[in-house]
Amino acid sequence: MDYFVNVTLTGLTQGMIYSAFALALVLIWRSTRIVNFAQGSMAAATTFIALALIQAGQSYWVALVVALASGFILGAIVERVIIRPVEGGPELNAVIVTLGLFVAIQASIAIIFGSSFQSFPTPFGVRGLEVGDTTIPLTPTSLYIIGSVLLVMGLLVALFRFTRVGLAMRASAFSQEVARLLGVKVGGMLTLGWGLAAVVGSLSGLLIAGGSFVWPAYMDALIVFGFVAAIIGGLDSPVGAIVGGLILGLALSYVSGYAPRGSALVNISALVILIVVLLVRPGGLFSSATARRA
Amino acid sequence: MTTIAAATVLSTVAACGGSDDSGGASGGGGGENEASDIGVTETSIKLGGHYPLTGVAAPGYSEIPTGLDAYFTCLNQEGGVYDREIEWIFRDDAYNPTQTSQVTNELVLEDEIFAMVSGLGTPTHSAVVDFLNDEGVPDLFVSSGSLLWGDNPEEYPMSFGWQTDYMSEGKIIGEYIAENFPDAQVGLFLQDDDFGEDGEAGIRQYIDDQIVAAERYTPGNTNVGPQIAALQAAGADFVVGFNVPSYTALSQLTALQLGYDPQWFYSNVGSDPTLVGGLLNRFSEGQVSDAALLDGALTTGYLPTVDMTDNPWIQEFQRIWDECGGEGELTNYRVYGMAQAYTVTQALQAAGQNPTREGLVEAIEQVGSEWEGPVFAPFRYSEDSHMGTSGMTIERIVGNGSEEVQPVRVTDIGDAPIEEFDGEPATPPANAIPDEEAVN
Repeated sequence: MDYFVNVTLTGLTQGMIYSAFALALVLIWRSTRIVNFAQGSMAAATTFIALALIQAGQSYWVALVVALASGFILGAIVERVIIRPVEGGPELNAVIVTLGLFVAIQASIAIIFGSSFQSFPTPFGVRGLEVGDTTIPLTPTSLYIIGSVLLVMGLLVALFRFTRVGLAMRASAFSQEVARLLGVKVGGMLTLGWGLAAVVGSLSGLLIAGGSFVWPAYMDALIVFGFVAAIIGGLDSPVGAIVGGLILGLALSYVSGYAPRGSALVNISALVILIVVLLVRPGGLFSSATARRA
Repeated sequence: MTTIAAATVLSTVAACGGSDDSGGASGGGGGENEASDIGVTETSIKLGGHYPLTGVAAPGYSEIPTGLDAYFTCLNQEGGVYDREIEWIFRDDAYNPTQTSQVTNELVLEDEIFAMVSGLGTPTHSAVVDFLNDEGVPDLFVSSGSLLWGDNPEEYPMSFGWQTDYMSEGKIIGEYIAENFPDAQVGLFLQDDDFGEDGEAGIRQYIDDQIVAAERYTPGNTNVGPQIAALQAAGADFVVGFNVPSYTALSQLTALQLGYDPQWFYSNVGSDPTLVGGLLNRFSEGQVSDAALLDGALTTGYLPTVDMTDNPWIQEFQRIWDECGGEGELTNYRVYGMAQAYTVTQALQAAGQNPTREGLVEAIEQVGSEWEGPVFAPFRYSEDSHMGTSGMTIERIVGNGSEEVQPVRVTDIGDAPIEEFDGEPATPPANAIPDEEAVN
C-alpha cells in the first residue's frame, strides 16, 4: 500500500510539471493559433539566465522575477522579429520556423552558458514530508510546484474569461480579419500572447529545473510529454492541460512502477495513451468545439 | 539536439631533438623512422577518441580526454615515442550512438588516425566496434567495462578493454557482501543495458539468495521514483547501484524524498564523490550539504584517486596536469585519462620503432599482461583474452575521498575464483613515462 502511495505521489508531482509546460503551449495556441516548438528551449534560456543570477549570489526570487521578465521580452521579440514575417503564409511555415528556433536557441545556450550538467536550486526543501512515522514523497518543493501551476491556471482562466484583453486575444487568434474590423489591435495582441506564453513557459522551466539538473537540452523530454499532455487536454483548455498532465504523469508512473522493466516502457506508453485518447475523443478530453477556425 | 562538433587537436610541441633515440623505448631498431602505416609519419602518430563532451553523460566523462591530452603534451615535450609526437584528436558524440558512428567515420576516414583510443561508452562504442575491426583499426582501451571488447578476440581482434569489467566487479562486490553483510537484504539499482546486466550476473554468483529486488532504469528517463520506491517496498536495506554518476545523484535525491536510508554501494563508475556531491550540493540552496549524502557509501577502486595525495602516481599526474593540463583541477576522470595514456604509450613503445596496426595488436597480446602502471592489478591481455585489468579494492567514501576497507582482489569473467592480489604496487618511472622494450 505504501508503495502504491509512493508511486502515485511521484506521478502526481511529475504530472504537475507536464501540466506546467502544457499550460504554456495552450496559452500560445489560444492567443496565436501557432504550436510553438521553440517553447522548450526558450524556457531553458530563461532558466539559465536565472541560474547565472543565482550563481552570482542573487536570491532565488530575484532570479525568478528576472527570468519571467526576460521570458516576456524574449517571447515578444521572437514574435515581432521572427514569427511576424512568416505569418499570413501557410500555417506550416510558422511551425517550421519555431522548430528552427528551437535548435538555434538551444545551441546559443550551449555557447553562452556552456553545455555542462548543473544542479538548479529550489527555495524549498527536497526531503519528503513526514506523516506519522512514514515519509511520503511529497516535498515542500513539490507543493510549491503544484501551488504555482494551479495559481497560473487560475490566472489564465480569469484572463481569457473575464478580461477584455483576454477576449481581444482570443478574437485575434480566432480570426485576424474579423478582430481587426471590430477594432482590436491584432498585432499588439499577438505580441502580448507570445510574451505571456513565454512567461508561463519560463515559469514551467524554472519549476522543472528546481531541485533537479539542467543542461541546454534538459527540456527535450518534457517538450514531448508537455505536448502529449496538452493534446490529451484538447490544446485549447487550461483545465485540460492540467488534467492531461496529471493523467500522463500518473499513468507513466504506474507503468514505470508496476510493468516489468517499466522504466524502458515509459516513452512508448506516452504514445499509447495519446493514441487512445485521440481515438476516443479526437479533439482531446476538453475540446470545446471542433470547427472553430474562421 | 545540440550538435556542436567539438574537435580538439593537440597543439604540436616541437620535439625534434636530433637523431638520438630518446623516444623512451630502448630496445627497438636503431634505424630510421618511417611512415610505417596509416596515421604514422616520421615525426608523428595520430590517435583519436570519441566522448560525450555535451549532454547528460558529459559531467565527468568530458574530462577524460583532457587527461590524455595533458599526458601526451608532456610526453611530447620529452620526445614522444621514438621521436614521434602523439597527435591526439577527440570528438563529441554526445553519448549518442548515431553521432559516434559519424565522428568515428571522420576520425578513421578523414583524420586517418593510426588507432582509436579510449572511445567512451558501451552503447556508443558498440555502434562502431564492427566498423573499426572491419577496417583493421586498432581499438585500444575502450572506456567501458563491458565484456564486449575483450572476451572474444576472434570476433573483435583489434579491440581491447582496459578497466575492470562489470562482471568481475560484480563478483568482487558480491563476495564482499556475502562475507561482511551476510544478513543484508540486497536491492539492485541497475542501468538497463549491458552495464547493469554484467554487474548483476557477477553479483548474483555470490549473493543470489540475499537479493530481494532488482530495479532497472532507462538512461534518459530522469524519474527514478518508482524504482527507488520499489527497492524500499521490497525491504532492501543494502542497495548496490550499477549506474552512471548523474543517476547516483538522482537516486540519492529520490531516496531523500522517500525517507529511505539503506547502506549504499555504488560501483566504480557512478561513485565519484566530488562530481556527485557537486551535483547535489546546490539543491535547495545548501539544505542538502555537499557530499555528505554519499558519506559512508561503499564503492570499488582499480586506480588511485586524487584524494590519495601520498600516492606517487597521483603526485606525478598532478605535476603533469600543472605543467601540461588545461583549465580546472586534476580530477579522478583526468587521472583515468592519464592512466590510459600511460598504457597507450607502453603499447606504442612495445610495437617498436616503425609500428604497424597489426604489430601494435600483437605487441599488446604478447607483453601487455606484464606491464606495470597506475592500475592496481595486471591486465589480462593475451591471444585468448583482450580483457583489461581485473583487480579491485573495496572502499568507503569519506567526505570527498575514500578509505580502503578491503585490499585488491583479482578475478576473471565466468566462474573464475576470486583471489587476493599478492603483487606490489608499481612506482612510476622518471617523468611517469614508461620504458618498454620493442617486441617486434
